[in-house]
Amino acid sequence: MAMFVLPPPPRYPPTGFSLASPYAMGGAPMPPMETSNTIAHPTGPEHAFHTGEGQYTLREEIHLATPPPHPSETPITSPNPLAIQPAPPSAGTRISTIIIKTVPGTNRTSQIYRNTVLAQNGEAEAEHASEPRTSESTEEDSTDGGSKSGTDTAGASTVATSTTHLMNDKFGGENAVLTHAPTKDNKKRKPKNNIQKSNSSFVSRVIMHEALTKKLQESGASEDLFVFANINRAYHWLNLSAKQNKQESLSKVLFTKSHPICHDVNQLTKSATHIDIIMGFSTGDIVWYEPMSSKYSRLNKNGAINNSAVLDIRWIPGSDNLFLAAHGDGSLVVYDKEKEDAPFVPEEFAEEGETDRKPASGFFAAKSVNSKIQKFNPVAYWNVAKQAINAFAFSPDHKHLAVVSEDGRLCIINILKEQLLDVFNSYYGGLLCVCWSPDGRYILTGGQDDLISIWSFVDRRIVARCSGHHSWVADLAFDPWSCDARTYRFGSVGEDGRLLLWDFSVGMLSRPKAVAAKQPRGSVSSGTANGTSRTRPDGQPAGRLRSESVATKVDDDGVVYHPVEPRARTSNLLAIMSKVVDVDPLCQLEFRDDCIITTCREGHIKTWDRPKSTTLSVVPEANSAQ
Amino acid sequence: MLQCLYYSKQFREAVISYPRKSLQPGSPNGAINANSRISRISTEPAAQNGRAKAGVGAGVTAGTGNQGPLARRGSTPASAAVSPNPQKPEDKDSPEAKKKAALAAGPMLNVELGNSKNYGMEESLFTAMKDLFESIVSSESRTGVVSPLRFVEVLKMKNELFRSQMHQDAHEFFNYCLNEVIENVEDHAKVTNQSSSSSSSSSSSSNGSKDGSSSQLVPGEAASATDSTAAVSTSVSTQSESTMTLSNTGWVHDLFEGALTSETKCLTCENVSRRDEPFLDLSIDLEKHSSVTSCLRNFSASEMLCERNKFHCDVCGGLQEAEKRMKIKRLPKVLALHLKRFKYMEELGRHQKLFHRVVYPYHLRLFNTTDDAEDPDRLYELYGVIIHIGGGPYHGHYVAIIKSEEHGWLLYDDEIVEPVDKSFVRNFFGDKPGLACAYVLFYQETTLEAVERENQMEEERAAAKKAKLNKTDAKADVKKKPSKEKVNGHANGHAIPVPLEDVPDVAGAEGPKTPTLGPQVKTPTGPPPVPAIPPTYLIPKSPVPEATSPVSPVVKSKKEREREHREEKAREKEREKQAKKEEKEREKEAKHKNREEKENGSSSHGLSRFRPPSISKKPFGFSKTQEREREREPVPPLPVPLPTGSPNPGDTSSSAAATPTPSTTSLLQSQSPLTASTAVPHEPAPRETFSERYVNGSAAGGHGHKEEKKHKEKEEKHHRASKMLRKKLSILG
Repeated sequence: MAMFVLPPPPRYPPTGFSLASPYAMGGAPMPPMETSNTIAHPTGPEHAFHTGEGQYTLREEIHLATPPPHPSETPITSPNPLAIQPAPPSAGTRISTIIIKTVPGTNRTSQIYRNTVLAQNGEAEAEHASEPRTSESTEEDSTDGGSKSGTDTAGASTVATSTTHLMNDKFGGENAVLTHAPTKDNKKRKPKNNIQKSNSSFVSRVIMHEALTKKLQESGASEDLFVFANINRAYHWLNLSAKQNKQESLSKVLFTKSHPICHDVNQLTKSATHIDIIMGFSTGDIVWYEPMSSKYSRLNKNGAINNSAVLDIRWIPGSDNLFLAAHGDGSLVVYDKEKEDAPFVPEEFAEEGETDRKPASGFFAAKSVNSKIQKFNPVAYWNVAKQAINAFAFSPDHKHLAVVSEDGRLCIINILKEQLLDVFNSYYGGLLCVCWSPDGRYILTGGQDDLISIWSFVDRRIVARCSGHHSWVADLAFDPWSCDARTYRFGSVGEDGRLLLWDFSVGMLSRPKAVAAKQPRGSVSSGTANGTSRTRPDGQPAGRLRSESVATKVDDDGVVYHPVEPRARTSNLLAIMSKVVDVDPLCQLEFRDDCIITTCREGHIKTWDRPKSTTLSVVPEANSAQ
Repeated sequence: MLQCLYYSKQFREAVISYPRKSLQPGSPNGAINANSRISRISTEPAAQNGRAKAGVGAGVTAGTGNQGPLARRGSTPASAAVSPNPQKPEDKDSPEAKKKAALAAGPMLNVELGNSKNYGMEESLFTAMKDLFESIVSSESRTGVVSPLRFVEVLKMKNELFRSQMHQDAHEFFNYCLNEVIENVEDHAKVTNQSSSSSSSSSSSSNGSKDGSSSQLVPGEAASATDSTAAVSTSVSTQSESTMTLSNTGWVHDLFEGALTSETKCLTCENVSRRDEPFLDLSIDLEKHSSVTSCLRNFSASEMLCERNKFHCDVCGGLQEAEKRMKIKRLPKVLALHLKRFKYMEELGRHQKLFHRVVYPYHLRLFNTTDDAEDPDRLYELYGVIIHIGGGPYHGHYVAIIKSEEHGWLLYDDEIVEPVDKSFVRNFFGDKPGLACAYVLFYQETTLEAVERENQMEEERAAAKKAKLNKTDAKADVKKKPSKEKVNGHANGHAIPVPLEDVPDVAGAEGPKTPTLGPQVKTPTGPPPVPAIPPTYLIPKSPVPEATSPVSPVVKSKKEREREHREEKAREKEREKQAKKEEKEREKEAKHKNREEKENGSSSHGLSRFRPPSISKKPFGFSKTQEREREREPVPPLPVPLPTGSPNPGDTSSSAAATPTPSTTSLLQSQSPLTASTAVPHEPAPRETFSERYVNGSAAGGHGHKEEKKHKEKEEKHHRASKMLRKKLSILG
């Protein structure tokens, strides 16, 4: 605190949309219309909402400035509403957050709490929950265990979702080709190109904060909450733990024509000097960006592997290098951040003798992660849906993937075996978002039917539909800090600008009669139980292949198609809280230990403080002061 | 005539779109029902005349009832056959063309009336509409404009509302048309409710609208109806329909009509009274940032009847406070949703257009059904959107987006019809610049299976398109290829193993073969055969730019060329793949012979598949690794030393030359006219992979793991080399 030195005059006035300084760091002249981010602290009843545990109040509202269009883009003077050229997909602001500890060893209580929550809820129950499924999988892939630990250790120590116990069946683990030799000195590899000096036409401009290094050193807090956010063609790096001028970007990258749509931070490789970010673009390009050194490299250049937009992107849990990108044509592609592109041609269609047979499900691995050709990207390539994949989520145990697509399907995929397990359908319309409960038992989806659907992963059925949004549901998240063994808390945001909070309890949801009736023990398809220590031969409820509905179909590949349950037979859940928190359609929701963050299409990032004294007795944060 | 042209676009638009719109429910139904009700449809034409004319309609369900226009169209082609000739004006806004079309429409009418004596109908909106439909359907030309001149005349004749030159409301028009059609049919059927039409117009506001919340608008509407500015009109339709449905169940009803139940619960005595009302469409109020679903929910949200709106309870006798809500009791086959974008602002004293963002999904189910509703989970799909463009309620322009069976989504803008992307439909939520918003949405019933089938079809169609595209590319490539191969094979003078001789043959064989595949793939009708290559792999996606790129003589930027290069490569591979597939079919036995190799554990058998029989007998020792690498890791044959990293162009050529690829020639070619360069330079890389397999296979036979290591090294080298090549090419370019 005391050593906090006032920063040099800010590049951008902290308030207002007035003209910015007419020069940029790189010497390039800045267009006069450059606007800067703003911050506001509105108060009042309209900026707060109540739940059982107390009042959430708006801490701050950062408005990211929408960058002016790139000079190369011809300004649209009179838009023709009937112009039939399909517009490239664009997305509202989404954020990726990461906590970087600048002072090592100051583990916050909440962090511990979170770990324990996950340990109790997440891991223990996740194992319970997914046991039936995992027992189905024959685990011949248990050899590669320690090969990655060398690189993992540095980053993994702080991450709640530690993956040590999962080493054995990590994605792609059995493929020796994928094993990365540990780098010298445990040093993390950086991308190749300097983004500031890049002469690529892909990157338009980079604006670094003048005192970036200083800021990074002197933030004063034991840890920094970095937020990376996209808006239009810009990509901001903010420090929400900063004492002042939080709204100022530490760096801002402007791209030329491509808009970043989705991005993710690798929680495993983070360190005080290294952050791995992966960004997916409207043009299909993917950028691996390391903001600390402002290095980047570009993958799937100009759509070399897949030229449809990247609609969701995530690091594969537990992997330093691999990430999964959902493309607009319904494919999921695994890339390696350090590999070069190579034009992709599917390797194999199906089993021998059936090369012409395309699986009825439409899912098949055009390139398996176990392929031995791993010199170039893609590492794996799966066709999942016929229409755009809007989102996907990894199960807490990292073994399964829930994928939602524009055709209204929720697909559950075993990523280790690269196998489609279940196909569910939305009530109607496309599905837009998906997430797993911290214990891996439930999956939430939200979509164009204005509903949130709760699916039981274990029972392979719909549990409930939640109505309350007035428009499409844009994002969903569980609030692990408010979940306990019995009650789940989750939130959702929609295009109606509303934030809704929901509670559902297992007791309320379970249908003992139906479940008890169908509980075949043991695995169904391939009886080989896995021999790992995580096996629990005791009678966990196994996945039922038949739901009570007659129309459930199982195809030759063992994919289970679940019919749409009629409304009359599905329980309906109502929200405990509904509040219009933004004038614009919301995009994302994130729960943090001390706050809820919402973002909207127009660049508002709102931070909502949790009630001062929660039932969870989270120790008040030292640096959560405003 | 002038007047007609001058007449609001809205009319033209409406007429152009409505026919199609009402056609659409027919055709999809026809298609969907065709599966389940073939018999009925086949009998339809016969039964049709009698039914429609006699107004019997009893045993005919809505699905077929809807066939009204459709089936009739089908049944009368002979009579209408006279008409098509004059109806082929080009898709232009030329008055002449329109006039011609209009004239064509005129005779049509006569033909129609002459033909169906049974009709004996007076000229009415219905007959006019029918004529339109028939002329469209019977017209052989796919393009062309049908001017609804006669229709408009009839319309004007029938309803003074439309006689002025004011812009009309599409929804109102829609209602009017439907009702008029119902009426015409009924009149004709000599059902004894002739008075319904007059009563409907006179009893305007008495009945109230079916939509409780819009009731306050009704008086205003009735008043404004004369000056034809009513923007929100539900009254006309509801009245006539409510009076009529009691006595008649015509096909229009079957199709469009649903039933609402208004449940009124008296808060005093708790007595619930229900009253059913039919509806042809639902007018829903909008709220900011909402969805159609949500608006429909609001539509059914309970409403308090209090103060001046008190409810007269029969049980307690007297006006009481009550709670009222509207639910849908019977779901229509076609759900027309009218978004009340034009709201009367009291403070302004006039209507104003609302630009709320209202999202609408491609599919819909209704939440607000009664408990006893039949099939409450009925799935609807969006098939038509009427869009209003303009800032206010008093003027503007209507266009329609319609989902057609054969052509996907089409945008109808007066005379212009354009195919549009599916995502285009989403441009009219109301928040985009340009003042265009969806105004009326048409959903028709469907099933999940139908939707899935359609998805499949879409995919296949896209695949066919791509295959076609690739075919043309492939053709172009193939032309050059065989000759080059020869050059290559001999020019390099490598000791090419004998089997290699087959390579050119294989490539050559593709030439004649691919085209044969073409027609199959192209055929839009019927379930298109699954193309050889799942479309998802095709790297190029947008067809237009690619198709042009190889021939484009324009000097390309470095980047562009780079991309093209890659695309080209991908395509090349694609083609190979296709060829491979064919090869495989022809050489099943060869495959069988290769079984032993495959038993190595790899399920990949592309190589063996590809291999001509003679090769396949060769003892292949290399593992699946190599086999798999065939796709993208071309490795030069062993005997040739590989200079790597040397920056001179010879490097690339030598690495390429190591393979039996004429890299030198290709490089030369790339220097030659740029037109060729876009296509030519891409040859080497895929070629390499292509022949390399054989070289590899034969040269590297039986080396096992060692081989693999070498392989890796080389692969790296090669990668570098190919990068160089690319670089060089771009420099040359």
